[in-house]
Amino acid sequence: MTSHKATASRPKLTVVPPQGNGRRHARGGRAGFALHGRFRHVYISPAVLFVAVLLYLPFLWTAYLSFTSYDGLASPEFTGLDNYRRLLEDDALLTSIRNTLLWVVGTVVLPVGLGLLVAVLSYDLKGGSWFRLPFLLPYAMSGAGLGVIWGFILQPDGMANQILSLFGMPGADTAFLQDGPGNTIAMIIVWAWQQLGVNMLLFVVGLQSIPRAPIEAARIDGASGWSMFRHVIWPLMRPITTVVFGLALVAGLKNFDIVWVMTQGGPGRSSETLAVTMYRDVFVANEYGYGSAVAVLLTTITGLASYVYLRRQVGREEPR
Amino acid sequence: MVSTRLRVTALTAGAVLLAAGCGSGDSGGSKSELKLYNDKGAWKPYFEQMGALGKQQTGLDMTPVGYTDEPTYTAFIKTSFRTNVKPDLFTWSTGGRLEEIVKQNQVAETTKIWQDAIGSGDLTEDLKKYYTVGGKQYCVPLNTAYWGMFYNKKIFAKYDLKPPTTWAELEKTAQTLKSKGQVPFNQTTPTSLFSFAWFEQLLAGTDPDLYERLSKGQASYTDPGVVQVMERWKSMIDKGWFSKPGDKADPADHFKSGEAAMVINGTWFNTSMTQRGLKQGKDYGFFFVPNTNPALPKRSLVFESGPLCSLRKAPDAAASTKYLKWWITPAAQEKWANARGDVSGNPKVKNADPELTKVTEQAASDGNRLVLRYFEAAPSPVLTEALSGFDKFLNKPETYMDVLKSIQKVNEDYWKTHKAGS
Repeated sequence: MTSHKATASRPKLTVVPPQGNGRRHARGGRAGFALHGRFRHVYISPAVLFVAVLLYLPFLWTAYLSFTSYDGLASPEFTGLDNYRRLLEDDALLTSIRNTLLWVVGTVVLPVGLGLLVAVLSYDLKGGSWFRLPFLLPYAMSGAGLGVIWGFILQPDGMANQILSLFGMPGADTAFLQDGPGNTIAMIIVWAWQQLGVNMLLFVVGLQSIPRAPIEAARIDGASGWSMFRHVIWPLMRPITTVVFGLALVAGLKNFDIVWVMTQGGPGRSSETLAVTMYRDVFVANEYGYGSAVAVLLTTITGLASYVYLRRQVGREEPR
Repeated sequence: MVSTRLRVTALTAGAVLLAAGCGSGDSGGSKSELKLYNDKGAWKPYFEQMGALGKQQTGLDMTPVGYTDEPTYTAFIKTSFRTNVKPDLFTWSTGGRLEEIVKQNQVAETTKIWQDAIGSGDLTEDLKKYYTVGGKQYCVPLNTAYWGMFYNKKIFAKYDLKPPTTWAELEKTAQTLKSKGQVPFNQTTPTSLFSFAWFEQLLAGTDPDLYERLSKGQASYTDPGVVQVMERWKSMIDKGWFSKPGDKADPADHFKSGEAAMVINGTWFNTSMTQRGLKQGKDYGFFFVPNTNPALPKRSLVFESGPLCSLRKAPDAAASTKYLKWWITPAAQEKWANARGDVSGNPKVKNADPELTKVTEQAASDGNRLVLRYFEAAPSPVLTEALSGFDKFLNKPETYMDVLKSIQKVNEDYWKTHKAGS
């Protein structure tokens, strides 16, 4: 069931189709010339060159470095699979992988799950946009700013503990950022606090784009509440959930800024993620070869996860 | 037609940009303005003061380009070695990191500058060894600092305490403060670069030979002497002598507010004090930490000196060398030291602050043994592991053996491919 089949609609759910015939527009006038003229390769070449020079070439160079020993000064020395063997024996890397998995699960469950919940609960609510506003505001903050502020809130005598102490609640001396994996979980919650709003917004857009007809039909058939959501709304929201879950998956895998600002992966590497480990090994320890091997591992995991996820989701979207 | 004109303009602009990108970053030749790249972004006002004085005295203008993130700065400098965008002057570290870039044949030799400066009394032989690689000198001292203890004079006066002269007295001072409900020592800020401070102080004050052997790959981090030092450090933490680990407040703020009575740091910490309106001698004082081992013939004094370097292939090597020569003159050093409120590597310099003059005189006395700060003494991968490890230890002191084993593993790996003791 796809949106272009929608016929009946109420104002809130109307999907405004593109004005005019898109194809004719592309072929006619200057836009048409750009897409189909003799110079189309010239026009597209800067973008291709940009991606090739700034993405593919550095990746190939990184992949090469992962088979070398290199300190950033002398020429890289080929060492075969040594860096990858070292990966297998590195306890810190195991911690890093565990934390990265926690981030993936956390970013999918918390900001996305709660974003969906808020979107659904507030969608038909009178004054819903005002209800959603507070959830959206933290998104205006930069990742680094978020890390600095929450770093101070969660420090040993920080605001969080002071509030607990003020109300005589237990745990007023909690070391939020001092122990792993508790520090990773604390940072995921901070991340969720910021990201919930944008996920909620995307889900609201998704809800607004749902065609009205199947909902009305389901309602006539007696569907309401959870059954309406589970069997009608949720499947119709698949285009947007595919995007939101996909973005959350990649964000969880590549998380770096908030961890670097709040703990720099510490204490004692207990909160490192793969991206932090990579940065630390390359730019702090100056072990470019080993850090590159971590980068290749992270890229492979991210690429595979994205591929598998998108194959499954896009496959479901194909016309039936 | 717009498209034809647009295409021609776009292609021309692209060609110009590509040509500019492929061209050399600096035309070289004679320069009247030098850029000084540094990892001390907070010192910009002081560099600017030096720039103004340098222009008057050398005719060369100098603009500081400050970084605040050490890894980014290091990566930039290393990258510049392979490109045409080379710094005129740049700050670096002594020890293994200086050796590393000298071995790549990148750094301009300064042997003649050192010979002349030692002859005229502007630099000392003591300092020279930290700038010597393979019998030749490289770079000149940007700054010099000694590590010791800053103490809050008001708190000391309140409890009738005096700066300790022996380790036993230091322990007694800490006990007294603790018994009065006052935190004696400030704990290192998490994620800072200085979690090694107490390790180096305790080890150098217990067995300076072991400290030096450790930094040269000639000793193990699991050596009984190192283990004992960690146990002593742990016992100090267990006694509640340190502020809570994980506190992100600047040590200078803790010190000013009186939350901690003492903080171990380099003399450059005076700059942080000055910036907060505190006056040495009135609000705070400084003493060198007594040896943990009273049997040692000399007091171990942790010392650091940050180099100011130029490259062999600097855009204008003569101008860079001229500036380096000027940098170590008494006039330049007096300005530099007094602007920041720190000591100078030039023994002729008189600090405006009599307390700093006292520190310089004490440091220069025969009763001291200078040991290089751990940050410069340890090779980069070992330092990185150690900083993470000590950070872990501060939060969980019982993990000290695991920490030492982790550092030793990296230490062993490093010295397998590098000549130990060089």
